[in-house]
Amino acid sequence: MRATFKRPTDDPVWLKVLLGTLAFGFIAILLLLPLALVFKEAFAHGLLAFWAAITEPDSLSSVWLSLTVAAIAVPLNTVFGIAAAWSIAKFDFTGKTFLVTLIDLPFSVSPVVSGLIYVLVFGAQGWFGRDLMDHNIHILFALPGMVLATIFVTFPFVARELIPLMVDQGRDEEEAAATLGASGLGTFLRVTLPNIKWGLLYGILLCNARALGEFGAVSVVSGHIRGVTNTMPLHVELLYNNYDYVGAFSVAALLAMLGLITLTLKSLLEWRYADELAAAHRH
Amino acid sequence: MSLTVDSVSKKFGRFPALNGASFVAPQGGFISLLGPSGSGKTTLLRILGGLEFADSGSVRFADLNWLDMPARTRNAGFVFQQYALFKHMTVADNIAFGLRVRPRNKRPSNSDIQHRVKELLDLVQLPGLDKRYPSQLSGGQRQRVAVARALAIEPRMLLLDEPFGALDAKVRKELRADLRRIHDHAGVTTVFVTHDQEEAFAVADLVAVLKDGRIEQYGAPADVRRNPKTAFVSEFLAT
Amino acid sequence: MSAIGLRFPLLKSRHVLPGFSLSLGFTLFYLTSLVLIPLLALMIRPLALGFDGFWAAISTPRVLAALRLSFGTAFAAAIIDSVFGFIIAWVLVRYRFPGKGLLDAVIDLPFALPTAVAGIALSTLYAPNGWIGSLLVPYGIRIAYTPWGVLVAMTFIGLPFTVRTLQPVLSELGLDIEEVAATLGATRVQTIGRVVLPMLMPAILTGAAMAFARGVGEYGSIIFIAGNIPAVSEIAPLLIVTKLEQYDYAGAAAIGVVMLAASFVMLLALNGLQSWAAKRR
Repeated sequence: MRATFKRPTDDPVWLKVLLGTLAFGFIAILLLLPLALVFKEAFAHGLLAFWAAITEPDSLSSVWLSLTVAAIAVPLNTVFGIAAAWSIAKFDFTGKTFLVTLIDLPFSVSPVVSGLIYVLVFGAQGWFGRDLMDHNIHILFALPGMVLATIFVTFPFVARELIPLMVDQGRDEEEAAATLGASGLGTFLRVTLPNIKWGLLYGILLCNARALGEFGAVSVVSGHIRGVTNTMPLHVELLYNNYDYVGAFSVAALLAMLGLITLTLKSLLEWRYADELAAAHRH
Repeated sequence: MSLTVDSVSKKFGRFPALNGASFVAPQGGFISLLGPSGSGKTTLLRILGGLEFADSGSVRFADLNWLDMPARTRNAGFVFQQYALFKHMTVADNIAFGLRVRPRNKRPSNSDIQHRVKELLDLVQLPGLDKRYPSQLSGGQRQRVAVARALAIEPRMLLLDEPFGALDAKVRKELRADLRRIHDHAGVTTVFVTHDQEEAFAVADLVAVLKDGRIEQYGAPADVRRNPKTAFVSEFLAT
Repeated sequence: MSAIGLRFPLLKSRHVLPGFSLSLGFTLFYLTSLVLIPLLALMIRPLALGFDGFWAAISTPRVLAALRLSFGTAFAAAIIDSVFGFIIAWVLVRYRFPGKGLLDAVIDLPFALPTAVAGIALSTLYAPNGWIGSLLVPYGIRIAYTPWGVLVAMTFIGLPFTVRTLQPVLSELGLDIEEVAATLGATRVQTIGRVVLPMLMPAILTGAAMAFARGVGEYGSIIFIAGNIPAVSEIAPLLIVTKLEQYDYAGAAAIGVVMLAASFVMLLALNGLQSWAAKRR
C-alpha cells in the first residue's frame, strides 16, 4: 500500500474538518443567518407588500434624507482626505504622527459620543444653543446637525486610504512635473490623481457606505420626527418599534442591498487593484 | 551667460550636506559633479533644479538670481535617477507634458507638439515608441524618454542625477555618448552627477570633485588628472 | 534681493511642491472646527459639576452597571472573536476550497451592513419566537432582551477586526518555521500551539483590542437585542442617550468622558502593541 505523500505543513484531515466546520458554522450562524432573515422578513408578505413599504411617503423621504446627507458629507470628506494626504505625503513638517492620530480619532469614539459632542455645542443648553435659538437657526434636530455628525464619523475613510498610498508613491513624479513647469493644480490633476484614482474610489466607497448607514451618531442629533428628520436607519428603528415588521425589514433590506453592493465593489477593487490600493496592510 | 555658483551651503538637520560649494561654468558647458556618496553632489544638483533650498549662498545664471525662483519657472530640465516617468502616460504624453502645461498663450499647437515629440524621439533614438507605456520599456529606453521629456521644454539648463546608475556597462557607454551628442546638438548648459570617475572624465568639459560638501578641485579632466590638488582627489582618481 | 541671498531659518516656509499652506491649512481648519472644538465641549461640560459632582454622576448604581455591562461584555466578545477569528483566518489562509473568495468577502458583512439593520435582524433572530431563539427556549436559554443578547451583538460586529488583523500576518508568516518544527518531531497541533500561536500573539491581541473598542462604543446593533433594562441590560451608550433626552447634559457628558478616556487608553495600548510587534520582527 503506497502512503500518500503529505507535506509536513499540511494539517491532518481530522483537524481540517474540525476547523473548517467551526469556521463555516460560526460564519453561517453569526453572519449569514441575520442577513437571510432581513430578506425573508422583507418579502414575507410578497413583493407587493415590500414595494408598498418602501414607496410609502415617510420611507421615501427617509431615503431622500439619507441621500442628501451623504451627498453633502462624502464630497466634503473627500476634499479633506485629499488635502490631508497631499500635505502629509508631499511635505515635511513636525507633528505628522499627531495629525494622523487625530484623523484616526473618530474610529475609536463611540457613535453616540460622536453625536453627543454636537449636542453639547449646538444644543439648547449647549455653547451656541441660546444664540442659535435667538436667530431661529436650527442645527440640531435638523439637516445641518445630521450632516455634521455624519461628517465626523466618516471623515477618516478617504484620508486613511490616501495617506499611506500617497506616502508610498513618493514625490518624484510631482517634482518632475514641477521642473517641467506644471502648476500646483495641474500637477495634482494630471500626475497625482491618475496614480491614486483606485485608492480614492475605494475610500469614497467606504465613506459613502458608512454615511448612508450611520445610526448612533445621527440618532442623537436627529429629532426623530417621522418623515422629516429620519434617515433610513432611523426610519427602520421607528418602524420596528411600532411593530411594523414588514415595513422595518423592507427598508432594512434596501440598506442591506446597499451593503452587499458595497461589499461586492470593495472586493472587486481589492482584487483587481491590489497594488494601487493602500500600501499599508490594513483591513 | 555663465553659471556662477557661490558658496552654497545646506544642512539636513545637523548634517552639513553642502559646505560652501562654488564653481563657475561657461554657457553651454558640460560639467560633471563627481564624488563618493554623501559628498553633496546630488544635493547641489537638486538645489540647482529647485528641488531643495540652500541655507546660504547664491547662484546666478542667465542674469537671474537662480535661487529665488521656484522650480516651475526655472526651465531647468531635470532627469531623475529613477527616471520618475509618469507611469500612467504614454511615452509621447510624458515627453509632451512640459509643453501641455504651459499657459494658453505660450502653448504650442497640438500639431506642433506632436512634431516636437517625434523630433525628440528621433534625437534620443527611440523612433516609433511614442505609444508605449513606461512599464513596457527597458531601463535604457526609460532613461532616454526621461531625457527627451526634459529637453522638450527647451531648457536653459539640463540637470541629470546619476542618470546611468541603474544600467549595465554596455548601455551606460552608449547612453553617455548619446548624452554628449545631444548636449552638443542642443548647446544647453549641462550638469550631471556621478560617482563613476571614468564616466565623468569621458564625457564632461569640466569636472568638479566633491568631498564632504565642498568642491575639492575643479577643472578640465586632463588638468585634474595630471595635477590633483589634494590627497583625496588623487586617491579618489586612483581607484 | 541681494546676490548673497541669505535665508533666515524662520522664514523657511518655502516648499518645492506647491499647495502646502492650502492643504495643511484646510486640513487643520477642518479638524479643529469639526473634531477638536466639539471634543473640547465634551471635556469641559462635566467640569461644571466639579470633581465631586462628576464622581457622583458616574458612580450611581445605574451608571456603574451600564459601564460594567459595556466593558465586560465587550471583553468577553473580544475573546470569542479572537478564538474564532484565529480559526477562520487559519482556514482562509491555509486551506484551499471552492468558494473561498466568497467566504472571505462575507467576513466584512458586519462592516458593510448598517448597524440598525444588523440590530433588528439579530433581535428578531434570537427572540423567543425567532429562528434561533425558539430552538433554545426549551432549554430555558434566553438570548434576546438579556445581557446574552448584548454578547451576541458585540461578537457579530467585532469579528471582522480579529480576522482581518490576523490574515495578512498569517500569510506573511511563511511555512519555514513550521517545517523546522516538523523536522524536529512536532505534530501539527504542537506546531500550531507552540510555534505559530506565540508568533501571532501581537496580531491576535491587536485584533482583540480593536474588537473590544468597537464593542464598547457600539449602539445600533445592540439596542434592539438588549433588554435595555436599567442596571441589567442597559449599555453605556444608551444611558448617554437617555440622559440627553432628560436634558441632563452634564451627566451625559460625564459618561461620554469616561468612554472617551477608555478609547484613548485603548488607542495608546494598540499603538504600544504595534510597536512591540514591530520590534519582534
